[in-house]
Amino acid sequence: MAKIELRNVAKRWGNFVGVDKFDLTIADREFLVLLGPSGCGKTTTMRMIAGLEDATEGEIVIGDRVVNDLDPKDRDVAMVFQSYGLYPNLNVYENIRFPLRVRKVPQAEHDERVRRASAMVELDDFLHRKPAELSGGQRQRVALARAIVRRPAVFLMDEPLSNLDAKLRVSTRAQIKNLSHELKVTTVYVTHDQIEAMTLADRVVVMKKGVIQQVGTPTEIYDNPANTFVASFIGSPAMNLMDGTLQGGVFQGNNVRIEGLPGAGEEVTLGFRAEDASVAGPGETPQITSKLYTIELLGDAVMLTVRAGGSLVSVKAPKDFRAEIGDEVAFHVPPGICHLYDRRSGERTGARHPPSGDGPPPASDAERIATTPTGPM
Amino acid sequence: MATPKAMRQPASLRFGSAAFLTLWCLIAAFPLFWILVMSFKSPADAFDANPLAVIFGPRTIAAGKGLSVIDLVLGLAVLWYAVRFAFTRLPQMVRAFTAPGLVILGWLVGCLGYAVVFIVLFFGLLPVVLDALNAIAGPLGQPVIGLTAEHYRAVWVGNEFYRNFINSLIVTGGVVTVSLTVGTLAGYGLARSGSNLAFWLLIAALIFRALPHSVLVAGYLPVFINSAEILRPILGDAAPTLYGQPLAVIAVLVAINQPFTIWMLRSFFQSIPVELDEAARVDGCTHLQAFRRVIMPVMWPGVITTGLFSFLLGYNDFLVTSLLLDAQNQTMVPAIAGYFNRETTTTDQAEAIAAAVSITAPLFLLVMVFQRQIVSGLTAGAVKG
Repeated sequence: MAKIELRNVAKRWGNFVGVDKFDLTIADREFLVLLGPSGCGKTTTMRMIAGLEDATEGEIVIGDRVVNDLDPKDRDVAMVFQSYGLYPNLNVYENIRFPLRVRKVPQAEHDERVRRASAMVELDDFLHRKPAELSGGQRQRVALARAIVRRPAVFLMDEPLSNLDAKLRVSTRAQIKNLSHELKVTTVYVTHDQIEAMTLADRVVVMKKGVIQQVGTPTEIYDNPANTFVASFIGSPAMNLMDGTLQGGVFQGNNVRIEGLPGAGEEVTLGFRAEDASVAGPGETPQITSKLYTIELLGDAVMLTVRAGGSLVSVKAPKDFRAEIGDEVAFHVPPGICHLYDRRSGERTGARHPPSGDGPPPASDAERIATTPTGPM
Repeated sequence: MATPKAMRQPASLRFGSAAFLTLWCLIAAFPLFWILVMSFKSPADAFDANPLAVIFGPRTIAAGKGLSVIDLVLGLAVLWYAVRFAFTRLPQMVRAFTAPGLVILGWLVGCLGYAVVFIVLFFGLLPVVLDALNAIAGPLGQPVIGLTAEHYRAVWVGNEFYRNFINSLIVTGGVVTVSLTVGTLAGYGLARSGSNLAFWLLIAALIFRALPHSVLVAGYLPVFINSAEILRPILGDAAPTLYGQPLAVIAVLVAINQPFTIWMLRSFFQSIPVELDEAARVDGCTHLQAFRRVIMPVMWPGVITTGLFSFLLGYNDFLVTSLLLDAQNQTMVPAIAGYFNRETTTTDQAEAIAAAVSITAPLFLLVMVFQRQIVSGLTAGAVKG
């Protein structure tokens, strides 16, 4: 049980900057997800917390100790690796027991603790097997059990699900969520998969090229991306981003015209989420009119894509909507769902949206908020 | 086992490859088989122009040294069961009777006990039983194939070949121990280090490996001969002459062998994922504990394979040992060459052959005992988690 403070932490290899000015406090018992594309420095940050990588600059504090100069073993952390890192010569039981043996925990406690940890990840039937005889999901559960057997102050998970197939990923993800709820240990979780971040996190840190882009709850990051990078990284599909000009409250671009926006006379990028907009009904003035580029059936909805504002723009339509590629379609994009960004810097210029969104929220929006996990922060 | 259709070969190809393999095995195995046969015959038979006489040895039989059909059948049967026992029951018994922490000790005791029992049974009890059987068996008891151990007795007892054997043990044991100890530590360090220095160290090792052995020997020989004078200022009168000392030869052989072991062990260490080190360190190990408790247990196939190669180098070396050791302290390989340097008679040659067979036997034993580790070490698939 400990909070983690990263005070202006940086990592450089020669001229190459891995992580820059990373300043963050992770609360006790918080589940923090570091999210970003590969090479953004999220794993380096975690390895600096673990002690596997030295910080070039700044202080790392776990609990109330500065741990910069401590060995990994003295930091009271447990780590789960992407490629499991199991000891191939030991069976599952001995793998889970290894941290207890190395740390000289009294022998008498070993069996009970190993069995409790293995029961938590449902490995009871495999204790005598070697790692080579297990499937990927089982191996990752052994790694989880090895991490929780010791009750460390901090869990570190380095893309634990990325070597698993899609179906296992969903079930193991649920298991991790449940475990963290049960154990209430501060957890730092690294991933490049935004769905994992959204489902697991209390707070998400979005990184790009070693620099924090935004820190916030999943809802906050989804509803109010701080810049175009976050907007295009979070959500499936990502936010639609259109280039255009904003004059007298009117955004204008190729095939698009939206009235009633604040601000004027700027080169802007306008974003909105596919599920916030809708196909223009009879009597509504459409904001986007264009030829249909593609139509994708998703099962619960239909995704319509057109060219507008210099890029491809997707809008969700009801699942019974049908059209042919090349047909003329019209979308209703009310100004209330739009996000405005400076085109050059990519930073948000428009007002932040309150979580419920201003103006009449579209039907799908209310539904989304109900299913998005909200953290305590 | 069914072969997939794509891999099935036409009959002609299968026949051809089988014929080639048979021929190749015959050619490769023939010298070994031939010296084995020759070493058990009297010199007159061993160097007979007629191959059949070499195999059956009529003059050896005439001298009263031969085996009857009963001897052959019973002897081979006992040998067969002894080998079977060694590979099936012995490991079981060792596992059943030793405590988990004392496995190596258990194996030592098991093997020693096995060797004693085997020698008593095979060389003590069996000849007595066979003599009795031959006496009452009539024609089946008549010797049909000549076999005499006189050359072995001459080599091991008369020529004191056991001294050479002990010297070989010292030299190879030393070479294996030193080069594996240094090799594992250096290989691990070099495998885990990304620095430029590590790269240049490896290149330097490669250059040393490429040097002809005689270059090193030429460098060491004068120093070894004069070492007493060179070392006198430091050690006083206790300064040793290194020439002729098996322990000094270890240093030279290690110098020759070490680059190779470092390279080989480094590649084994590289095939072990770094995550294992890191997991161990997060789980509570120091650097050294991670190496000892996590990395080394996974490394055994690599260590044994590399150890076998250094063993072979030390055991089979001729150039270094023959130049740096005097006649009293020779290892086995130069000692055999010594048999040909005197006024060579056919008896000397037959004894040389018996000595040659003697030094081959330990190699067979070693490869058979460690074959599983060697195979997994050579394929290097056993270390993936």
